[in-house]
Amino acid sequence: MKKISLMGCPNVGKSVVFSRLTGVNVISSNYPGTTVDFTKGNTRIGGEKFGLIDVPGTYSLEPTSKAEEVALYMLQEGDIVIDVVDATHLERNLYLTLEIIGRKKPTIVALNLWDETKHLGIDIDVEKLEKLLDVPVVPTCAITGEGIKELAAKVGDAKPSKTIELMSEGERWLKIGEIIKEVQVVHHRHHTIWERIADTTVKPVTGIPIAILTILLTFLFIIVIGNWIVEHLMDPIFYNYYGPWIVGAVNSFSPEGLLHDILIGKSTVESLDFMQSFGLLTTGLYVPFDMVLPFVITFYFMLSLLEDVGYLPRLAVLVDTGLHKLGLHGSAIVPTILGFGCNVPGALATRILETRKQRFIAATLMAIAVPCMAQSAMIFGILGRYGMKWIIIVYCTLLVLYILLGLLLKKIVKGESPELLLEVPPYRKPDPLTLLKKTWTKAYGFLAEAVPFVILGVFIVNLLYVFGVIDVLSTVFSPVLTTLLGLPEGAIVALIMGFLRKDIAIGMLLPMDMSPQQLTISCVVLATYFPCIATFVVLLRELGIRDMLKAAGLMIVISLTVGIIMRLILIGI
Amino acid sequence: MELLSDMKPDRKAVPLTTLFPGERAKIISLGHGAGIQRHLRTMGLMEGKIVTIIAAQPARGPFVIDVEGTQIAIGRGMVRRILIQKI
Ligand SMILES: Nc1nc2c(ncn2[C@@H]2O[C@H](COP(=O)(O)OP(=O)(O)OP(=O)(O)O)[C@@H](O)[C@H]2O)c(=O)[nH]1
Ligand SMILES: [Mg+2]
Repeated sequence: MKKISLMGCPNVGKSVVFSRLTGVNVISSNYPGTTVDFTKGNTRIGGEKFGLIDVPGTYSLEPTSKAEEVALYMLQEGDIVIDVVDATHLERNLYLTLEIIGRKKPTIVALNLWDETKHLGIDIDVEKLEKLLDVPVVPTCAITGEGIKELAAKVGDAKPSKTIELMSEGERWLKIGEIIKEVQVVHHRHHTIWERIADTTVKPVTGIPIAILTILLTFLFIIVIGNWIVEHLMDPIFYNYYGPWIVGAVNSFSPEGLLHDILIGKSTVESLDFMQSFGLLTTGLYVPFDMVLPFVITFYFMLSLLEDVGYLPRLAVLVDTGLHKLGLHGSAIVPTILGFGCNVPGALATRILETRKQRFIAATLMAIAVPCMAQSAMIFGILGRYGMKWIIIVYCTLLVLYILLGLLLKKIVKGESPELLLEVPPYRKPDPLTLLKKTWTKAYGFLAEAVPFVILGVFIVNLLYVFGVIDVLSTVFSPVLTTLLGLPEGAIVALIMGFLRKDIAIGMLLPMDMSPQQLTISCVVLATYFPCIATFVVLLRELGIRDMLKAAGLMIVISLTVGIIMRLILIGI
Repeated sequence: MELLSDMKPDRKAVPLTTLFPGERAKIISLGHGAGIQRHLRTMGLMEGKIVTIIAAQPARGPFVIDVEGTQIAIGRGMVRRILIQKI
């Protein structure tokens, strides 16, 4: 089977082309650096099967970040290259094109974003371009699918160019100049009113208020709509239908005993307690589906909207100065925001940062001080009943930690923190269907990850109790938990579970009869002491074992220190 | 060609930081190591192109500049080293 690599500059639509050709939904969004790892898929063209690879974007074959290194590697993987080119910026995109076809790779060029050339007043002579490059060139609009069939049809015609040789950088730009002169005409146009409005979002005087408003509205949307889904959809399903049914069903074959307790805990039809029963089929499903999923959906809907509109690079500009104080730059806002959804993609997205120092700081800060949506939903769910005050304490503590730790890491981590250099794409109108698909893809990703782990976690906890392991651990760790942090010694179960998943770990605090002060301390300690297993695995791969060990040491020390300080402030000696 | 006639030979090349929002200028040199220069060019920031400033963040923050239709967010240190001629 022949392999096709999809190469191109960042944000030109490679991932949309990939999804079109393979039917595999990969994430695309309107900012450079969406794809940081390769994805493989299959496609059938004219009866022949091809392997297709979606590759991170790169401006040239001299990589400047880890994501671009992946791109270079994937070029060598492919037998054929589909070079996706932004037709609205043909000139600078041709640099990579000439680099690729200069290497004599069989190539076809997709002139994507063809739709946008029209209202930008850009005319490109496709036939002439094809002749000059000596490889097939096909105009496409990946988002509507126009031209994709023609593109696929020409895969067989992909061939090494006879006219373009490997050349020096200077020669390449000269060649590009010649080509552009022959094939492109740009009609003069004035800036539209929309472009002027768009500019206000990066001007400091207007941009900062707009950013604050955007974040507040996003936050409000997530909470209000999330709560609405819980109250009007999830709770009725669980309490009126699923609960009575599952209790009845389990009782019918196992009215009591170990199996009964593992499956549904102490729940009865009269007193359905999804939170405290700790059965696989009660709490194990209630936590991911009822307490977390609604907020995961609303979060990803809003995130996708901001991503597809193209707001994130603008936000990066506005927070750049602040992030420099922490040894990062504006682009680090992307992994951070993704981390609020789930730390796993957040950790992967640190690849868009240029240096090892930046990646280490961004990943460590995220693992310690950025709670994922599953965690946040549980913190709100559990502390909310005692008033907003406690939730605010948790998040303010994490924010202060983020800043202090960043200031410290900037000083002590060796290496460079380069300046911001980021393309700011035009605002685009998001396609509603794509938006919903993307929200679903991400929410489904959450379920696929969370449900098995939560159920496994509940199962393990049940076993640990049955075999008395919990009692032993409680005694061993009681000096730390009780003496230092002022928590009940039973809280050790939550800490153990936190290695697996944070949401269910927080859920376990509820039956322990803690005061709001103790719950607040527990939530902060749980958020900071160690990442969940899924995040840990990714961090280990991204940072390497030495840096991961350093980060882990930091986490434990910080978590304990902050826990003790909070105990002294909130509870006293 | 209209651009060339705009250029006055007595106009000195000045850092891009001195350009005000709304003014137009032509990029004369990029002034970095070869690696960064290449990266800037592949992003569209090239000698001879027309540049305008869209926004400059306070407290020595980054600029957002427009180079013939591409908007780029770029740190002030890099902007300072780019030389331009106002037109
Ligand atoms: N109008 C229009 N928008 C498009 C087209 N193709 C892609 N887009 C949009 O362009 C943006 C970038 O698309 P992606 O597929 O994420 O780009 P990519 O090349 O994979 O980007 P990286 O992974 O960051 O390198 C998205 O917002 C797409 O919806 C097109 O043909 N026309
Ligand atoms: Mg992509």
